[in-house]
Amino acid sequence: MSGYGFRHVARMEWIKLRSVRSTWWLAAVTVLAMAATGAGVGIGYRSHTPVATVAQILNNSLSGAILAQLLLGALGVLTVTGEYGTGQIRSTLAAVPRRRTVLAAKAAVAGGAALAVGLAASFAGYLGGQLAIRGTAIPAASLGDPDVLRAVLLTGGYLAATALIGVGVGAVLRHSGAAIGFLFALVFVPSFAVGLFGESGIAVGRFVPLLMLLNSVAVTSPTPGLFAGWVSVLLMGGYAVAAVVCGGVVLHRRDS
Amino acid sequence: MVSAFWRPTALPSVDDMIELRELTKRYGGRVAVDGLTVRVRPGVVTGFLGPNGSGKSTTMRMILGLDAPDHGEALIGGVRYADLTWPLRTVGALLDAGAFHPGRSGRAHLTALAASNDIPGSRVERVLRVVGLSDVAARRTGTYSLGMRQRLGVAVALLGDPGVLMLDEPVNGLDPEGIRWIRDLLRGLAAEGRTVFVSSHLIAEMAQTADRLVVVGQGRLLAETTVTALTAGHDDLEDAFLRLTSQTTDYRGTDVS
Repeated sequence: MSGYGFRHVARMEWIKLRSVRSTWWLAAVTVLAMAATGAGVGIGYRSHTPVATVAQILNNSLSGAILAQLLLGALGVLTVTGEYGTGQIRSTLAAVPRRRTVLAAKAAVAGGAALAVGLAASFAGYLGGQLAIRGTAIPAASLGDPDVLRAVLLTGGYLAATALIGVGVGAVLRHSGAAIGFLFALVFVPSFAVGLFGESGIAVGRFVPLLMLLNSVAVTSPTPGLFAGWVSVLLMGGYAVAAVVCGGVVLHRRDS
Repeated sequence: MVSAFWRPTALPSVDDMIELRELTKRYGGRVAVDGLTVRVRPGVVTGFLGPNGSGKSTTMRMILGLDAPDHGEALIGGVRYADLTWPLRTVGALLDAGAFHPGRSGRAHLTALAASNDIPGSRVERVLRVVGLSDVAARRTGTYSLGMRQRLGVAVALLGDPGVLMLDEPVNGLDPEGIRWIRDLLRGLAAEGRTVFVSSHLIAEMAQTADRLVVVGQGRLLAETTVTALTAGHDDLEDAFLRLTSQTTDYRGTDVS
């Protein structure tokens, strides 16, 4: 008998995640926001001249991910700060004193849940856009088209990574408001700052999350100069790992 | 009782002694716990008595590995808390009546913690019955009264059927019926051979619950004794306690006149 392990702790985290309302609210709002954005985009293009292209409809109908990344990032943050804010963390760490195991389980569960919700939301965005242009001359985008399918799937992956970044930021800052604020700044400030680089902006911008999302991940083909979509998502995964590792170092050292 | 020193720490411990060795904690320049060396034995209720701010809660947090000591160590059956194979099945702790998310139901809170230590769901229902919360288990804990939150905390402590129980001010917020219930529960658990370590600043309550006493003031050990021995030569335990801690009280009022 070797005692508790990651498997047990992940089960605990999954029960905790699904047993608070904020999880379901954030998941529902994420999917609805992307569906509504997709439908809004489709409706906007219905009477547009010249007739919109497949890429125009798809790229724009996935742009609800701008909001979705904040919602799922907040979901990740709350899995950690929700415990510090309420005293739950003492129950958790008394049950599982190996803190890095706790954080790894939180990351796995929040990341997995965010991937499922992110994929559902991304698909909802696509579907919203497609349903809204039915009966027009605008060509339909098929999920059988590899460029379309890739954009929808990678958007889900990008959204899962933002939840993991949220987990890491939450573990470092421990306060819901501060962590969510910091996460928002992390999303928006670098994309504005890229403007300061002028000509070489694109060389910097391809590393910036929001710009990757809008020009490399959630599009049928990336803007020239940016990474391929899957490279951008891997890069996001790298940021997420870095954030969770930072959280792990801090969680391990501090008193609770 | 077998000495724990030679036992490989990976094995589960059958030894339920809590052992503090020169346990010390500083917050900034202030010493909260100062070289505390104490053994808490199985089979009796040991009261952890001291004025407010005397370091009782900090000591208990260090035993659970929530706070790291600046010096010394706290061992459960010779093992540091962080090295326990099944923490909840070894030590049951009630630290404060708010160590849970107010949006989660009492049952979900217990079920989640049970999962972490591979404790079956039937045990969750059992401890809910023991503490009398079965009827409100589906309600969010944010709607619980202080007494109900305290009972949920006791349910968490009992969840793993542990050999060591450690409770910080368990009677806070309980009505007289609840206080008697806690007293009987603790005495019953000790009678089963478990180690029961319970902190309080309420002397009268400790006099009725505890067999042995660990008295601290300003983080230092003032006495490790029995209720009977401490009371001897004084009018009552309260009198004895106040004399013992008279030099270590942080805040003191004066007569009105």
